[in-house]
Amino acid sequence: MNTAINYQGADDGTPSDLQTVIADSVERLFAKHVTRELLERFDAGHRADALWQQVVDNGLPGALVPESAGGSGANWLDASPVLRAIGYWQAPLPLAETMLAAALLAHAGMEVPEGSITLIQAGRLGDLRLDQEGGHLEGRAVNVPWARTCRWAVVADGQRLALVDLRQAAVTLAAGSNFADEERDTLVFANSSSQATGHLQLADLPEPIWHLGALVRACTLVGTLEAAVDKAVLYANERVQFGKPIGKQQVLQQYLAQMAGATGAARMAVQVALRSASDLFLGAAGNHSTLAFDIAVAKVCAGEAATLAASVAHQVHGAIGFTHEHTLHFATRRLWSWRDEFGSDAHWAKVLGKAAIAAGSEGFWVGLTDRSL
Amino acid sequence: MQALDIKPCRLDAKAQALRAEVRAFLAEELKHYSPAERAKGLVGLVPEFTRKLGERGWLGMTWPARYGGHERSALERYVVLEELLAAGAPVGAHWVAERQSGPLLIKFSPEVLAPQIVPGITRGETLMAIGMSEPDVGSDLAAVRTRAKKTEGGWIVNGSKVWTSGAHLAHYMITLLRTGPKEESNRRAGLSQLLIDLKAPGVTVRPIYNMLGEHDFNEVFLENVFVPDDFVIGQLGNGWQQVTAELALERSGPERYLSSTQLYLAMLDEADPQDSRHAVGLGRLAARYATLRQMSLGVAGMLARGENPAIPATVVKDQGALLEQAIPDVAHDLFGDQREPGSDLDQVMRFLTQSAPSFSLRGGTREILRGIIAGGLGLR
Repeated sequence: MNTAINYQGADDGTPSDLQTVIADSVERLFAKHVTRELLERFDAGHRADALWQQVVDNGLPGALVPESAGGSGANWLDASPVLRAIGYWQAPLPLAETMLAAALLAHAGMEVPEGSITLIQAGRLGDLRLDQEGGHLEGRAVNVPWARTCRWAVVADGQRLALVDLRQAAVTLAAGSNFADEERDTLVFANSSSQATGHLQLADLPEPIWHLGALVRACTLVGTLEAAVDKAVLYANERVQFGKPIGKQQVLQQYLAQMAGATGAARMAVQVALRSASDLFLGAAGNHSTLAFDIAVAKVCAGEAATLAASVAHQVHGAIGFTHEHTLHFATRRLWSWRDEFGSDAHWAKVLGKAAIAAGSEGFWVGLTDRSL
Repeated sequence: MQALDIKPCRLDAKAQALRAEVRAFLAEELKHYSPAERAKGLVGLVPEFTRKLGERGWLGMTWPARYGGHERSALERYVVLEELLAAGAPVGAHWVAERQSGPLLIKFSPEVLAPQIVPGITRGETLMAIGMSEPDVGSDLAAVRTRAKKTEGGWIVNGSKVWTSGAHLAHYMITLLRTGPKEESNRRAGLSQLLIDLKAPGVTVRPIYNMLGEHDFNEVFLENVFVPDDFVIGQLGNGWQQVTAELALERSGPERYLSSTQLYLAMLDEADPQDSRHAVGLGRLAARYATLRQMSLGVAGMLARGENPAIPATVVKDQGALLEQAIPDVAHDLFGDQREPGSDLDQVMRFLTQSAPSFSLRGGTREILRGIIAGGLGLR
């Protein structure tokens, strides 16, 4: 209503052309190919190899890799529709992991190998360590995503980075999975050797894979949250009980509005973190990056929203949503899995809480507006 | 979901530069304010403070100069608002005038009322009240029964308004009332907005004390009050559209998530960083603060670009009230039986625990807001 008022200086956050192109192509691909049949076959133990090949043919694994290193040269915001779509369509692929691994290798000036790549942060979820030169690995890593499928792993220990061939004798694997039947395996390294080493320049992220893995999961969570909202709204408008669609009941409207609000909050938190990640990787963040703070905020908000959304989505769907036949569980099993991975919301809340307590009443608001807590 | 989408907004350098100026001003002005006094925020009615803001040029910042405005950007104004609220400044005297009455008069009565009334608002001298709800009306505004009958040169108003914040200090009340009948198919027809001089004969303001025993809102009785024709705001019969536009301004500002901030800050000073319960509980709230700030700022950016973020603004208010109401409960969880009687934490907790019920009632109840959001999702 404020046409009489003076408006300047607003940043409209409009998507770049590259982001729009990437969004269109990944949506087309997944909408067509990530079908109920594909997800059921995946749950029955069949890898989505044909889909992976299409993802490779579309250049998606290298989306975050600079053009000079053979990638698409997208920044994090531009590439984020891929991460969102993995969540929205529940694409059962090591794509988010490979995108991040490739981005880190390229950032460290290392060559990006062919094929899918998983990720390990040394010292998190196990006791794996790189030796000083990065040439050898010793220790155990649990919940390694897609380790059976991936030929390669990228391991970060501080800013040191190593590329490891997982098909060597000195690496043993025990299969495991998350609630969505995605591979989450245990790897034991016994003086295993790395195939290449390098250094990251991301000093603002002391544990780069742990932080950026949390960002990636927060992004995919937002995609799945949006899918859960869409499914629940669709069902509430279609399902008739007592002579009218259940979506006309105020109590369901209240639930769904709250779920959508929490989803909107998570999406905002993730957008802000993606913008900071783009700045950091482009070297545009200046002396201090807000990314570590923004990621912690995003993972807390996405994890909390996942808890609420899974509950509401099932309540709205009633008994049919609890059947194997209905597709809701493909979304909710991922919400319950991903909210735990790369640090649960409680983990990141604790990080933020310690910083807030240290800032105290004098420093909190300054830290919040600077996003430097 | 798209109707709910909020685009992030980055503050420009000009807005950031202003922040330091506001912080320095507040550090000086509020240095003797206790945490318990700061906790009042929106219900802190201190006309002298409001006049000081007017002197600094921090009221009506975005309005045209012909109305005494300062023609600054919406984002500069946003920075001033969030700094005032985070510091716990007593902004209650001017809040509705600056947030909604000024813009409403500029938009709907640019030639007649705005030149008369708005310059006083920007100086912090003219205070406004909003007469929307009535006894037995509550959230259902189309049911208002206060009515105006045409007379020579103006209107005769009869009825009453309730929950009218600050009416005992305000000079004028922007009043939603009936100037014509409902229509069969449209019960929102026949509503108009009139500006009523609260010193006019026939106006009686009676306090309603809230559950804390404090006087913020009032009941306003209107008995044969004469209102001149010039005091009709906008178009006769267009009241519903005008009020709806006005309410959108009321829902996304930083006042919608910062109300319990003084309690959060008091907890930070009492917390033990080695205690995981303290760190996790306060950290979850920190994440919500960070995100709500971005959402509220994002809506400010959308308003600044002339978009219509009615539904995103509603999401901000709903999510913001959840944070504001979670904070007293976290305080209970962490410090319920272990705080020093009479301490800052104790005093702030006493005030905000008992204020919290209002946070999901004022400016649209939670249920009304969620109904609007549900509509945005394509339900009903």
